[in-house]
Amino acid sequence: MNDNGNILIIDDEVQIRRLLEISLSANDYSTFFASNGKEGLIAAATYHPSLIILDLGLPDMDGMELLIRLREWYTRPVIVLSVRNSEEDIINALEKGANDYLTKPFRSGELIARIRAAIRLSEEKKDSPLLEFGSLKIDMINHVVRKNEEIIKLTSTEFSLLALLAKNHGRVLTHQFILKEIWGHGYLEQTQYLRVFIAQLRKKIEDNPSNPVLLITESGIGYRFGN
Amino acid sequence: MKHRIRTKFAIRTIPDIMKGSKGISSLTRTSEIYQYILAIIIIGITTLLCSPLSNPQSYHIVSFILLFVVAIMAVFMGIGPVLLAATLSSVAWNYFFIPPYHTFHIAKTEDKFMFGSFFIIALLNGVLTNRIRRQEIIVRERENQTNALFQLTGELSKASGIDKVSDVAKNDFKKHFNGDLFFILQDGNNRLETSEHIRDNNKFQSVDFNIVEQVFSNSVKAGKFTDSFSDAELTYYPLTGTRLNPGVVVMNLEKSVYQGKDAFWNTYFMQISNAIEREFLGELALKARVLYESDKLYKTLFNLISHEFRIPIATVMGASDTLLMSQTSEKHREELLDEIFKASARLNHLIENLLNMSRLESGKISVRLDWCDINDLINKVLQNLNKELEQLQLVTEIQPEMPLIKLDFGLMEQVLHNLLLNACQYSPASSKVCLDASYANGTLILRVTDSGPGFPEKALSKVFNKFFRVDESKPGGLGLGLSIVKGLVESHAGTVSVENPADGGARFTVTIPSEIPDMKKLNLE
Repeated sequence: MNDNGNILIIDDEVQIRRLLEISLSANDYSTFFASNGKEGLIAAATYHPSLIILDLGLPDMDGMELLIRLREWYTRPVIVLSVRNSEEDIINALEKGANDYLTKPFRSGELIARIRAAIRLSEEKKDSPLLEFGSLKIDMINHVVRKNEEIIKLTSTEFSLLALLAKNHGRVLTHQFILKEIWGHGYLEQTQYLRVFIAQLRKKIEDNPSNPVLLITESGIGYRFGN
Repeated sequence: MKHRIRTKFAIRTIPDIMKGSKGISSLTRTSEIYQYILAIIIIGITTLLCSPLSNPQSYHIVSFILLFVVAIMAVFMGIGPVLLAATLSSVAWNYFFIPPYHTFHIAKTEDKFMFGSFFIIALLNGVLTNRIRRQEIIVRERENQTNALFQLTGELSKASGIDKVSDVAKNDFKKHFNGDLFFILQDGNNRLETSEHIRDNNKFQSVDFNIVEQVFSNSVKAGKFTDSFSDAELTYYPLTGTRLNPGVVVMNLEKSVYQGKDAFWNTYFMQISNAIEREFLGELALKARVLYESDKLYKTLFNLISHEFRIPIATVMGASDTLLMSQTSEKHREELLDEIFKASARLNHLIENLLNMSRLESGKISVRLDWCDINDLINKVLQNLNKELEQLQLVTEIQPEMPLIKLDFGLMEQVLHNLLLNACQYSPASSKVCLDASYANGTLILRVTDSGPGFPEKALSKVFNKFFRVDESKPGGLGLGLSIVKGLVESHAGTVSVENPADGGARFTVTIPSEIPDMKKLNLE
């Protein structure tokens, strides 16, 4: 029982905490709670949870500030769960170190999936030489991508982009982050590159490019590699 | 220096008069004292230049020269200096040219007559020429006033909005009378709005708000050049209207421009008053309408919310209560849970729409334009509406080689989502819904065409109104979806329209102006 990991929930809403407790323990996670930022910091330091679910509207401090302070030492995943649903807030939280962002109201199934992805990603070896997603195989060492055992020809930029997203599968990468990683600081505004390359990659690796399941668009925020 | 600038207007009222001849204008603009000095100097120099003619044969010629000079001076000098010049010239002629020289004594009787007539002619010459000039000034002044009034009325009738009207008045005043105006208007409740910032303009530093209040409440002009508060530095004129008094206008003007023309100024400010009153009443009417509309809106919203919100809440409460209380079969349990989920999704949708509407109305939606792949946009929308679209036959047509478009992905996603959702709601099962996208002439065109009943002709113009629903008796939504579409599209500087195509259904057309990236410049390796 409860061996999938322990999750700290920092949220002041009792109803949300109750709901999370039920749905998380049903999925074999143990939970504990903090109802404000101060308690949250102490609990995070004491229990060192496998994952933190953080609400941004806390009574004693702004969740964003708490996130920054947590990120000074806490390296495991943080998922923000907030009613704030503007793109600015989401991008800001992701850039400040949140691994994922869900807006309230949320679907429990979606949350569990995100939690699983985040925990798995944090435990996975970063430099695994071969990534597999269904029929897609990415050989990180030899820069070879196979789909249904057939080699897919990719340009070097296409490969770097695919590799970056695949290594972080399940996690939203913001436009800015991807542009910085692949093209460098001078290209932060050049989103047209990203659009063109994503469209090209989809044509090459998706079964149905107009219904992508691997390279998923997160409206106005970035891309997520699905699995 | 400042003093000089003021006095030059004391002599010459209308600067326009001097247009055309710079030389004369610079002379006539000097102050009265300068003119006297100038008169002495000119006569002195003329006398000196004529000194070679100082002999018994040609001294008569000198008299003509002097008369000529005096006549010329009369054209551009005040009456005083001209009289001085006339006197001086006759004295100089007598003293230097009429024998015996260097005395005021005149030997010959004919020379005595000659001197007498010279003096009289010089005086008459000066006075008459000066009078003609004055007449001309008055005529020009009248012409200027007529022009000012004419232009003012013309432009005032074209101006709309109080700010525009007061700008027109200020410009006209500046142009024709070289003065400044400042309007202090009332707030609609017969109280003057505070206008401390009038002092920001250094010409109105000395404004006296007591006078302003008095002028406003008594509707009688006051300040400089008037009977009350005549020691003030500015003039205050009431703006009076037929239905309300819009306020007070403060002006700074030179004395000669203002004084003695009460009839003109009354007409002038009457024109301005009327225009401002017109705009004022217009704005008041608008405010009243907005108030009425918002009251109506509030009532509609209240009715809708109480109705639309209660149904899903009743579902949630009833279903969960059933689940808690009674023994239900597994099948019923699932159905009830499904109902709860649907009801809460519906509530969430209602709240989202209300929030979006209020964000749009308060201008809090920020549009972040970024390059977007239209294919991606459409796919995203279709994925989200997967369930709703299942029962329809959706045909998507995207122009081949569709360029990247600059728009806000999230907001446009909502636009298409709402349009498609609308099509889903009004289309019979398994009917055709078309979504097509094209780019031409710098504009992205998105069209959603359904095969539903279309809109009643009368409803077409109201489709995008807030809380408008074709059939109010049917449950389902607040009637906000399409008005949100309109708001979002307009925040992209685009347009949205609706029509009933000849072959049935309803068609929404969204156009978004956008540049496209120069793909040749992209390094796509």
